[in-house]
Amino acid sequence: MEQPNRLELLKEILLAEEKDITQSLVDKVEKLSYTLNQPIALAEKVDPLVDDKINTLVQDMPQKLSPVITQALKTEIQNSQDAVVEALFPIIGKMIKKYVSHEIKLLNDKVNDQLQNMFTFENIMKRLFGRKPKGTDIINTADAPSLIQVMVIEKETGLLIANHAPDANEGIDEDLVAGMLTAIKSFVEDAFKGGDQELETLAYELYTLHIQNFYKYYIVAVVSGVYTITTKDKLENLLLEFADKGVSKKELKDNKLFTNKLKSFFSDQTI
Amino acid sequence: MIKLSKKVALVGSFGVGKTSLFRRFIDNEFSTDYKSTLGVQIQKKVITMDNGIELSMILWDTEGHENISEGRSSYLIGSHAFVYVFDITRIDTYKEINTQIEFLKNHFPNAVIKIVGNKLDAVSKKKAIETLKEYSVQYDYLTSAKTGDYVEELFADIAVDVTN
Repeated sequence: MEQPNRLELLKEILLAEEKDITQSLVDKVEKLSYTLNQPIALAEKVDPLVDDKINTLVQDMPQKLSPVITQALKTEIQNSQDAVVEALFPIIGKMIKKYVSHEIKLLNDKVNDQLQNMFTFENIMKRLFGRKPKGTDIINTADAPSLIQVMVIEKETGLLIANHAPDANEGIDEDLVAGMLTAIKSFVEDAFKGGDQELETLAYELYTLHIQNFYKYYIVAVVSGVYTITTKDKLENLLLEFADKGVSKKELKDNKLFTNKLKSFFSDQTI
Repeated sequence: MIKLSKKVALVGSFGVGKTSLFRRFIDNEFSTDYKSTLGVQIQKKVITMDNGIELSMILWDTEGHENISEGRSSYLIGSHAFVYVFDITRIDTYKEINTQIEFLKNHFPNAVIKIVGNKLDAVSKKKAIETLKEYSVQYDYLTSAKTGDYVEELFADIAVDVTN
């Protein structure tokens, strides 16, 4: 045998095992390369792992994110307290009103039930001859309430934000009225030290000034005619609805915009 | 035209001439008949400014108090400007002025404050300036509601400051 052939034979004998290992590694690398470069093959391997991770994340999310979200919300609310209160004021007002109305209705129903069950002479007569209208009913019908003017006034400054007076009364300066009303309101609220209580009505002769308080502003509705609990209730609902239908910060700063909104809302409103 | 409304409150001790300044500016009138203001009186003056702004100045003439903190704070809240008025001829109306101004600055940090010495007609201007210097009193205007001296200038200056 020649010298080079013997060397080759020797190499084959000595390196046979390494050659197998090398080939096995090459095969594995090729397989890995194929898996990495073929989306379907990669998905088969990776998807179960990702699914596991997502499931774990979904399970742990409330525990892990809750403190962060709670803290972020707390900070946001603290930083924009005015805006939050402004947004909640009409909603809370409506909720309370709805609750109180519901309770009063229940009470009213109970009283009516009791009255129905009373077997009195008067009740029998009423049932026989029907209820005749009382004097107060006749007066109430004759002097039905009507909305004369609506003013939106900034609480702190007493400056008029918006005004709507269908039958404008010449000679009245609304800016001064707004200022004086704020001064009177402040005086009453300070003088009687009623805590967070606020002035709600002012009456003079045939007119009643219904005052609906909000956080940054208050609305004064001037009513002529008989101002009953029902009138008050209707006005409250109307004004809460107006406030709820989007009194935005922008509108509070833009008197013209707010006045137009006030006019369009109250143009065909009756109480 | 831009329309703006601003609240301006007049504050200071009794009898310094707050109401007189108020009436001089609003109606260009003066009366020697002194009636102490009870509570507050409110008036409006519309000023058309050079920059085209129509400013409704709502003036709150408050009752006199030596110490502002004794007055009704709700009348002052939301003011865009304060006119702190003292009487040039009465030392007791300005000897504590720094404390009063500090109170206003602390409670109403965004408001414009003008310090005004009134009744310039009752004393020579030179003498008034000397006395005020002696008591280290800082002021923005020396006015006379009686003659109308510097009243328009004072409120025109406030109008500029509150609209800036």
